[in-house]
Amino acid sequence: MSRAAHGRARGWARLAVAAVVLLLMMLPVIWLVSLSFKPPREWLATPPSLIPRNPTVDNYVVLVAPGIPKGTIGEVVGAAQPVTRAFVNSVIVVPLATLASLGVGFLGAYGISRFRVGGNFLPFSVLATRMFPPIAFAVPLLVYYRSAGLIDTRLGLILMYTAFTLAFSLWLLKGFIDGVPRHIEEAAILDGASRWRVLFTITLPLVRGGLAATGLFVFIMNWTEFLFALIFTSRTALTVPVQISQYASAVGRFYGPQAALGLVASVPVLVAGYVIQRYLVRAFTFGLVK
Amino acid sequence: MGGLGGVLGLRGGNRPPRGLRHQLIYDDRWFQQLMVLPMQLIIWAVLVVPLLIALYLSFVDWQPISGLEWWQAPFAGIENYRRAILDPRFQSAIVRTVIFVGAVVSVEFLLGLALAVLFNRKFPARRALSSLLLFPMMLPWVVVGLIFFLVFLEKGPVNYLLRVGFGPAASVDWFGRPLLALFTIGLGDVWQWTPFMFLVIYSALAAVPPEPVEAARTLGASDWQIFRRVTLPSIKPVILIALLIRALEAFKIFDLVFIMTGGGPGTSTESVSLYLYRTGFVFGQLSFASAAAILLLALVLVVSWLGLRPLRRELEL
Repeated sequence: MSRAAHGRARGWARLAVAAVVLLLMMLPVIWLVSLSFKPPREWLATPPSLIPRNPTVDNYVVLVAPGIPKGTIGEVVGAAQPVTRAFVNSVIVVPLATLASLGVGFLGAYGISRFRVGGNFLPFSVLATRMFPPIAFAVPLLVYYRSAGLIDTRLGLILMYTAFTLAFSLWLLKGFIDGVPRHIEEAAILDGASRWRVLFTITLPLVRGGLAATGLFVFIMNWTEFLFALIFTSRTALTVPVQISQYASAVGRFYGPQAALGLVASVPVLVAGYVIQRYLVRAFTFGLVK
Repeated sequence: MGGLGGVLGLRGGNRPPRGLRHQLIYDDRWFQQLMVLPMQLIIWAVLVVPLLIALYLSFVDWQPISGLEWWQAPFAGIENYRRAILDPRFQSAIVRTVIFVGAVVSVEFLLGLALAVLFNRKFPARRALSSLLLFPMMLPWVVVGLIFFLVFLEKGPVNYLLRVGFGPAASVDWFGRPLLALFTIGLGDVWQWTPFMFLVIYSALAAVPPEPVEAARTLGASDWQIFRRVTLPSIKPVILIALLIRALEAFKIFDLVFIMTGGGPGTSTESVSLYLYRTGFVFGQLSFASAAAILLLALVLVVSWLGLRPLRRELEL
């Protein structure tokens, strides 16, 4: 066999191994997709089938309209709540918290990148909010929230999410701002532009790609956050992950709609993650690894 | 890699130049402080003050149902700490979580390394497959918990396959026995976070400069020797950071346990976070939970300080 042919054969061997690994990895998700299209009789049927025998979208319909026609899925669904409220909450809370985190993070990152305000201590204390288990902060925060009347409110969640994603906004944006040559800003200042003008008309446009990537990552973090939402919301301000856990625990054998809800809840973050895959290493390591 | 200090921007390149021009541009304290003011407020609101409150609560005896406000609660000395340290449930939650973290992070690292080496050479459809590989870590944790809960149901597909392969008695009650339940939770974590290890190592491998590798090859080193002596040392700092971050993250584990077992059977799969959640928020023992939380913070601080030690020289901390 020639050298080139040998190399090609090895390439195909790698492809084969990678394909098998991926298939194994995908199986649980494929099962989830399949389950979400199955009628109740097939949820636990033996033998199970990867392809629904009588495919149905009832599991999805029931998420928004619990008053489903009899004979389909009605009796199994029982007293299930529609999930619309949770989605409305998430759709309001998550983007607002993301924007707030980006705003605070951008200003802070600029101050630290250009002026090293607060030395090393300030950025590392922000990092500490992410290092410790969040449950440790939840106890004292509950004391706050009780006296401020913020429990089970969207505003309460927005504030909390802004604070606990700041570490990502700050560190990631600092990395992007470090990449903007400072002599551009210096030249503009010496030409008489105000600092604010330099910040918003020179620096900001130059890091807009970084802002978008950071924003999408913070969006993922907020959309998937569970612990704080579980503790600090109950009926009014509950978010999508809390809704999933309520579906999973309260209504025992509710497997089809559970699967459907899990999938619907994952779509936004999968899209966001796909868009920023180039930045994921950087994002998950706070920009420590690029 | 150029050293982590450089990557972090903590040394040299980031310092402003000196001189009159420098003064004109960089000596505006008011503007500078204003930049970090919102951030400072947040740090005080969610880090400093809460820690002080937690510290205070840990020395008093307060439960929300007692009717007293938290600042009126009677002083309790170190009673909460004594009870927390002596609580066998807290002890086993810590030991269990630490062992769990050690196990899943090692497995994730080894699998991630293997995958990264596999993907490190060109092959057909490599790009598409590698981005497909990343999706588990984007999923909400609760969804991962849900997936593994549904797949490992007693009448679920995994048990069906076991029955087909090993006869009708091979069905396993995955969530009914402590070790099996922990194993299933660990599987979920490994499934979700192996892609992270893969991604970090894969991109580090891609950034290894080719010259030393070529040189070693010219000198007659074998593939294994090159990997062991040239490639691995040059990606070591990145690996250490990834391991540290992953370990701290895995130590927080809550969502998977909450969804899959709720800590059961009994309390046998309780993680530290779940234990604190239950004592603090389900049973309302906030003073006790504060003491436990302070102990936990101390533990995490010590562990991450030790974990950072090999990195300190490069991080210049």
